[in-house]
Amino acid sequence: MTRAEVIAGVLARLTDDDVVVAADGAIAREAYRALDRPRTFYMLGSMGQVASIALGLAMTRLERVVALDGDGNLLMGFGGLALVGGLKPANFYHLVLDNGAYATTGGQPALSQRVDLAGVAAAAGYRWARRCHAPQPDATALEQWLAAPGPAFLDVVIDADDPHPAPRIPMTPEEMARRFQRSLQ
Amino acid sequence: MTTSRRLEALRRRGVGFVAGVPCSYLKRFFAACAELPPTAFLPAVREDHAVAACAGAWLGGVQPLAAMQNSGLGYCLEVLTSLHLMYRLPLPMLVTDRGDEADFEEHRILGQRTRALLDLFAIPWREAQLGSEDDEAEWLVATSRARERPAVLLLGRGRDS
Repeated sequence: MTRAEVIAGVLARLTDDDVVVAADGAIAREAYRALDRPRTFYMLGSMGQVASIALGLAMTRLERVVALDGDGNLLMGFGGLALVGGLKPANFYHLVLDNGAYATTGGQPALSQRVDLAGVAAAAGYRWARRCHAPQPDATALEQWLAAPGPAFLDVVIDADDPHPAPRIPMTPEEMARRFQRSLQ
Repeated sequence: MTTSRRLEALRRRGVGFVAGVPCSYLKRFFAACAELPPTAFLPAVREDHAVAACAGAWLGGVQPLAAMQNSGLGYCLEVLTSLHLMYRLPLPMLVTDRGDEADFEEHRILGQRTRALLDLFAIPWREAQLGSEDDEAEWLVATSRARERPAVLLLGRGRDS
C-alpha cells in the first residue's frame, strides 16, 4: 500500500472529534491532501516530536489523539516511546508509516529496516503494538488498532515509492496553529 | 507533601501542565510537581520532548510550563525555533542558570552563553529572586502570552523556593 492509501484509510475511520498530529514532511502534506480537517495539526519541522506533541494533547484532552508518525521521525525522537509507554494515556493512538527510508530527503535508507519498532513500543509499555505488512487486509489492521486499548501502536510497512507526492500545504504556520487551537475550544 | 512557592505562584497564574527534566537547582520545584495530578505533570526524558509536549498542551487549551537545566536548551533549539517561534506559541520556561566559575566544568561552556543564546532568538528572559515568586510568575506567563513566544525565568543557585 502507499502512504496515501493508509492515511486516507485512517482519516476515513475517525470522527470529527478525534485529534490528529501529522508528522512533518510527506505525511502532513498527504494528510492535508487526503482530508483537510480542523482538528489535524500539521507539523512542518521539529522532526522527532510527533509523539511528544500528541502526548501533550492526550494528557490535556479527553478525545482520542492519533499520531501519524514516520519511521525516521520516530527513530529521531525514540525517547517519545518511553514517555507514552511509561505514562500510558488511554486515548493515544500511534501509527507509523514505515517506508524504511528518509523519503523527503531523497530516500536514504533508515534503520527501521533492522529495528523492530512495534517490539520496542510493546517493551516500552504500550498496551497494544503490532506490525502490519502491506499488502494484506489493511482495513482490518487499522480497525483492530483503533479498537485496541490505548496507548496502541501500529507500524504499517508501506511502499518505498511515492509516484505522486503531495504538494506543500497552502497555509501559514500561524494559520495552522490558530485553526487547530480554535477547533479544540 | 512538598510545597513550592514558585509552583504555587505559577499555578495561580493559570499553569495547568508542567513538563520538564530535573536539575539539582530545582529539587523542591520538581518534588512538588511530582505531587500534581498525573495529567498535569510530564516527567520528560529529554528537554526537547518536554517543550514539544507543552506545545500540545497549549494547543489543547491548557497553559503549559517547561522546566529544565540550561544544558537542555541545546536539545530544545530545533523545537523552540520550528514549533514555538514559527507557529507563534507561548511557552513560559523555568531554566536553571548553571555554569558560573564555581560550578562544575560540564556546565560552563553552554551555561555561560545562556543569555546570549536566548538573545540570539529574541527570547525574553529575567533572573529569578527569592520572595518575588508572584511577580515573576505573572511576568513569565504574561510575557510569553503577549509576545506569543517562549519566555525564560533564569534560576540561579539557591533560588529554588
